[in-house]
Amino acid sequence: MRALFALLCAVVILWRLLPLDTVPPGWAGPDIIVALVFAWVLRRPEYAPPLLIGITVLLADLMFQRPPGLWAALVLLGSEALKTRAPGLRDLGFAPEWLAVAGITLAITLAYRLTLAILLVPQAPLGLSLMQMIMTVLCYPLIVLASATLMGVRKARPSEGGGRRLRI
Amino acid sequence: MGVLIMCLLGLFALWRIDSPRVERFRAAVIDRVVPNLDWAMAPVTGTVNLFRDFQSYQRIYRQNQELRRELQQMQAWKEAALQLEQENARLLDLNNVRLDPRLTYVTGVVAADSGSPFRQSVLLNVGARDGIVDGWAAMDGLGLVGRISGVGDNSARVILLTDTSSRIPVTVQPSGQRALILGDNTAAPPIDFLEDAGKVRAGDRVITSGDGGVFPAGLLVGRVAQDPGGRLRLRLAADYERLEFLRVLRDHAGVRIDDSGDLIAPDVAPTSPEDRAPNPAVAIDG
Repeated sequence: MRALFALLCAVVILWRLLPLDTVPPGWAGPDIIVALVFAWVLRRPEYAPPLLIGITVLLADLMFQRPPGLWAALVLLGSEALKTRAPGLRDLGFAPEWLAVAGITLAITLAYRLTLAILLVPQAPLGLSLMQMIMTVLCYPLIVLASATLMGVRKARPSEGGGRRLRI
Repeated sequence: MGVLIMCLLGLFALWRIDSPRVERFRAAVIDRVVPNLDWAMAPVTGTVNLFRDFQSYQRIYRQNQELRRELQQMQAWKEAALQLEQENARLLDLNNVRLDPRLTYVTGVVAADSGSPFRQSVLLNVGARDGIVDGWAAMDGLGLVGRISGVGDNSARVILLTDTSSRIPVTVQPSGQRALILGDNTAAPPIDFLEDAGKVRAGDRVITSGDGGVFPAGLLVGRVAQDPGGRLRLRLAADYERLEFLRVLRDHAGVRIDDSGDLIAPDVAPTSPEDRAPNPAVAIDG
């Protein structure tokens, strides 16, 4: 399953790299890798170990011309924060989980922009960043649904030693 | 875990302090990854474009009519162009003009784009192996597209004119006004630092000025257009909808930029030793 996670991220990166549209778009799509990381970390943390997340997002940083390392570190921090909250979120259903993910996404986006601003790194327009963040949050349920139905990434059942199954 | 995060933040700090070195590393990584995945990316790109073409077939009749009309107009233009070409050839012959022999080019295929909505760049499949050097201009058949920044062994990145870091000195013809094209992540970058905006009108040709040794002079960039807010913008001549084959112009006259990721050439140091020895202050001041 770890290989599947890496493969999914690689496919997402490649898809973004395809030279289909070289006109600057007026909008920003979701950061699917982040949504994928958060969804899998909350369900099966063992499928998405920190080292794999770090390497994947760092590769994305390098490929997408982002400042290397910063976004990877923030995504890693965000996923760890979610992991510590996972036991509390397990029995609450989907809405609180979504809220928590939205909060973390907002936090790391702001931290990212703030760090770049403090270090005087030229950065993208604020509107685009916010749009990307909102799109990521909006597409999170889809990613969760897809990974639950297509790849069987659900929360661990009581019989497997964890809490109850997720009700979507 | 903590170690991992420290490593990543350390890499970021290193990038902030010594950007060229990390950018070279980035170019090397991309150079290793992207050409190897060409077998996967090329068919997918082809398929998607096929479907897009298929959609456009629906509009084919209307398109056909439009093309016929345009063709009629073009016939007239062609006649005019032929006459002008003959006249031009005669005049060149009379003047014994030799065209600039330095402008030869290497043609590359676009292998990937920047993958992010925040940066506008494409990756070509030609690199240092083919003699590409940072800072050279890239054009499609119609006009200027961008500038090489970041060369790997088999790949080179072209920062497009629409990228937010792109600044290109240009001349607006026929008034001869100097200006800068500032990329701002839109399809029509604004024209700024005009001496006298009143002399420039929509439809004027914009060509590179060659100021600062950034580009060879006289490359077609686009035409002036005015947005609803009255701001002057550039309608790019190059077909940004489909960047597929790009020409990288060899330019041996300019200053060489050795750090990948840099766009600005270092100050030109005095070349002869006697220049350098007596007053170093001049060189530092630049």
